[in-house]
Amino acid sequence: MKIVIVGAGEVGSHLAKLLSREEQDIILVDDDQGRLSTIDANYNLMTLRGSPTSFNVLKSAGVESCDLFIAVTPDETRNVIACSMAKSIGAQRTVARIDNYEFLDMHNREFFTRIGVNALIYPEYLAAQEIITALNRSWVRHWFELHDGEIILVGVKLRENARIVGMQLKEFAMVEHNFHVSAIKRHHETIIPRGDDRICENDILYFTTTRDHVDELLEICGKVHKRIRKVLIMGGSRIAVRLAALAGDTYKIKIIESNLEKCRRLPEKCPDCDIVYGDARDIDVLREEGISDMDAFIALSDSSETNILACLTAKELGASKTIAEVEDIQFISEAEGLNIGTIINKKLLASSKIFQILLDTDVSSSKCLALADAEVAEIEAKPKSKITRGPVKDLSLTRDMTIAGLIRDGQGMLVHGNTVIQPGDHVVVFCLSGAIHKVEKLFN
Amino acid sequence: MLLRVMGWLLMIESAFMLVPLVTCLIYGESDYMAFLITVAVTFAAGALMTFCIRPSYSSMAKREGFLLTALVWILFSCFGMLPFLMCSTPLTLSDAFFETMSGFTTTGATVFESVESLSHGINMWRCLTQWIGGMGIILFTLAVLPMLNHSGGMQMFNAEVTGITHEKLRPRISQTAKGLWAVYFVLSAALCLLLWIGPMDFFDSVCHALSSMSTGGFSTRDDSVAAWDSTYIKIVLTIFMFLGGVNFALIYKAGTGNFKGLLHNDTLKAYLRIILCMYIAFAVTIAINGQANSISSVTIDPLFQIITTISSTGLTVSNFENWGSFIIALLFILMFFGACAGSTSGGAKVDRLLYLLKNTNNELYRSIHPNSIRSVRINDSIIPPETVDKVIAFLCIYVMIIALGGMVLTALNIPLVDAFFSSFSCVSNIGLGAGVTGYGGSFEVIPPAGKWILSMLMLTGRLEIFTVLVLFTPAFWSK
Repeated sequence: MKIVIVGAGEVGSHLAKLLSREEQDIILVDDDQGRLSTIDANYNLMTLRGSPTSFNVLKSAGVESCDLFIAVTPDETRNVIACSMAKSIGAQRTVARIDNYEFLDMHNREFFTRIGVNALIYPEYLAAQEIITALNRSWVRHWFELHDGEIILVGVKLRENARIVGMQLKEFAMVEHNFHVSAIKRHHETIIPRGDDRICENDILYFTTTRDHVDELLEICGKVHKRIRKVLIMGGSRIAVRLAALAGDTYKIKIIESNLEKCRRLPEKCPDCDIVYGDARDIDVLREEGISDMDAFIALSDSSETNILACLTAKELGASKTIAEVEDIQFISEAEGLNIGTIINKKLLASSKIFQILLDTDVSSSKCLALADAEVAEIEAKPKSKITRGPVKDLSLTRDMTIAGLIRDGQGMLVHGNTVIQPGDHVVVFCLSGAIHKVEKLFN
Repeated sequence: MLLRVMGWLLMIESAFMLVPLVTCLIYGESDYMAFLITVAVTFAAGALMTFCIRPSYSSMAKREGFLLTALVWILFSCFGMLPFLMCSTPLTLSDAFFETMSGFTTTGATVFESVESLSHGINMWRCLTQWIGGMGIILFTLAVLPMLNHSGGMQMFNAEVTGITHEKLRPRISQTAKGLWAVYFVLSAALCLLLWIGPMDFFDSVCHALSSMSTGGFSTRDDSVAAWDSTYIKIVLTIFMFLGGVNFALIYKAGTGNFKGLLHNDTLKAYLRIILCMYIAFAVTIAINGQANSISSVTIDPLFQIITTISSTGLTVSNFENWGSFIIALLFILMFFGACAGSTSGGAKVDRLLYLLKNTNNELYRSIHPNSIRSVRINDSIIPPETVDKVIAFLCIYVMIIALGGMVLTALNIPLVDAFFSSFSCVSNIGLGAGVTGYGGSFEVIPPAGKWILSMLMLTGRLEIFTVLVLFTPAFWSK
């Protein structure tokens, strides 16, 4: 598939790198040669220097024959115009990154389709949604819903009070039939577990399960569901504003912002929130605003380091759930090892959203949710493919992949050793990074 | 991982060796045993490396890219020299290695006093090594092995392909490699056909097509192209050697209907201008020296000599020694810079000459107007100063390597001029016989140690210095 990406910023380059590994033809366009050179020399893709809103540049990038055009420059109007131009030249499908909530409104959809923008990506909105999910299930580290929630993937960090700590996986599987432990993240390493692996304290376990059984996990992992009511946000960023709008009156939100100008403007955008002028890095300020009574603390300032440290401080001061926005991708793995509830990254969210759009254009391709160093793919089993030849336990799968569940006729179910996969099933596969090609071979 | 990739490459080489094997069988020559053994050994070694070693890690970074590229060229020569050792006219180890390296790097320097006494199979293999090396061993592998179609392949591509910046034709590296090889293959086939129509027989035309398209310069006759004494052959070869000196990416684009890029390419324009100026200088000098005794001696002969030198093919016309020493001086300049980057030619490349001249011009202007900002512009885009620095560094090291090589050769009791000329000739991958300076008929007279040194110089020149030199820096090996 030929994909043109415009804008080699953080989202653009992350996507380009990701997709070039997925055997796609990538052309990356930006008007800054400096950003392109390193990517050009190190990744299997083509780069082109030039303005994203120039017909000449778009033509020489081969937009007229491309399947997907993605505009992710920092400027929203530029993205929309580039998409519109690309569509008029002949791009199959266009995606623009925007930062205006109004554009997402259903009433305006028709306008964008008319000018040639097929899909809109709004990373701040995606981040706000992610935060809401995390707040609703405060005991969960990761929560992915596949196929409209038929299969649910839950990442939980185990403390010493979990009754399954110390169990071998095969013992666990004998007691509980409704869960499949698909991956274990221990320290910085992701393991695809086997029956004789033991569950340890401080592991993050990724369970695959169906909708009806999710709540049983609470008891198994020794977690208590805590309804979150009072939320303290550090930094009145766009995500905070969007979050306040999405949450409505479910939560009582207090925002601490250190810029007075911003503080003055915030009440207009989020009328139901308390706005506090102050520096949330200051422990006295946190105490004064009642951090110990807060159910959740969300750090959304521009600096990843500040967010991580602020979350750790808040946790010590008594906040039960912490969420940090970490924009430096390199920090994510490190931050996950710390005592922070959930990590939010706009770029990963935007890329994974674009992956889903890719899935819509190309049905045979898989959808990947990237964990730290493992991938989750939902793949359709083709007729006569290797995977359908017998019960899963007889397929002699390699150690770097595991089949977690499948969706047959729109119904989610877990996969056991005796399950036979049928052609047309959508199968959820966990694999370590790099093994995805092996997985695809099995299914084709 | 490194070994695994090298294993694959060796198996590809063994596939190429089937060509001379078949040639031997067709002509009923005894050398087929040599090739049979070589094919078997190479294939076995390749298969062993590929299938018996489990890669401990699968990623390839810059370091591995450089190392692998340099090692592959050496390894290819090691296996490629086996037929020379085992054939009916066996060579010594250092001679065989020199001959093979000279083939793969398209230098075209030979140790054989008489190539006519060699079997058809051996001659075919000599020309074939040039053809493989001309476009690049790695590039061929990138085109056929999907395994390298990732960023590791990218590193190898960068380490092998000539030129300052590496233009990609298509988004994926294997598509780029396929495109370039398609151009190369089509041109070679066309050349072969045209030569066959002329006075050459099929075998000679195939060999000459292989060695001329790759701008290598091996021949099947002792007198080289002069053996046929045919103006037709000279014209055809001149045209194709010229094409061999043009950036293949440009030819590919022209082939897909993009002629605009061809006309607006500064390097190509400079290449044409150099040829034109040189032609005028040659013609005038020939006339002054009273050698203009026929039409061809002022038209096709000098043109053929210019093109064969600038494209680093290194053939010679019969009477060019009589043209005067000024001509030889001009040839030195042509040898030094060679043709366009991204072609099969050797030398420091016209691109770099262009950068150098434009930058020098700017520097001179700046000495009068110190505050002016001027940048080097090539093909309507501004070249960042770091790239210009790199080009200048390259040219300095290039000259230093030639001088160093020459110096070491003088230590082996080779006369001063010949030592420096041989070193120059090998680094530029031209392989113009040492005969030019009147020292022996071929490179055979150089002592064994000198041959090993020259082989390394050829490799350094072919991989454009940095790829080889970087292996000798401590920073490369320290983690």
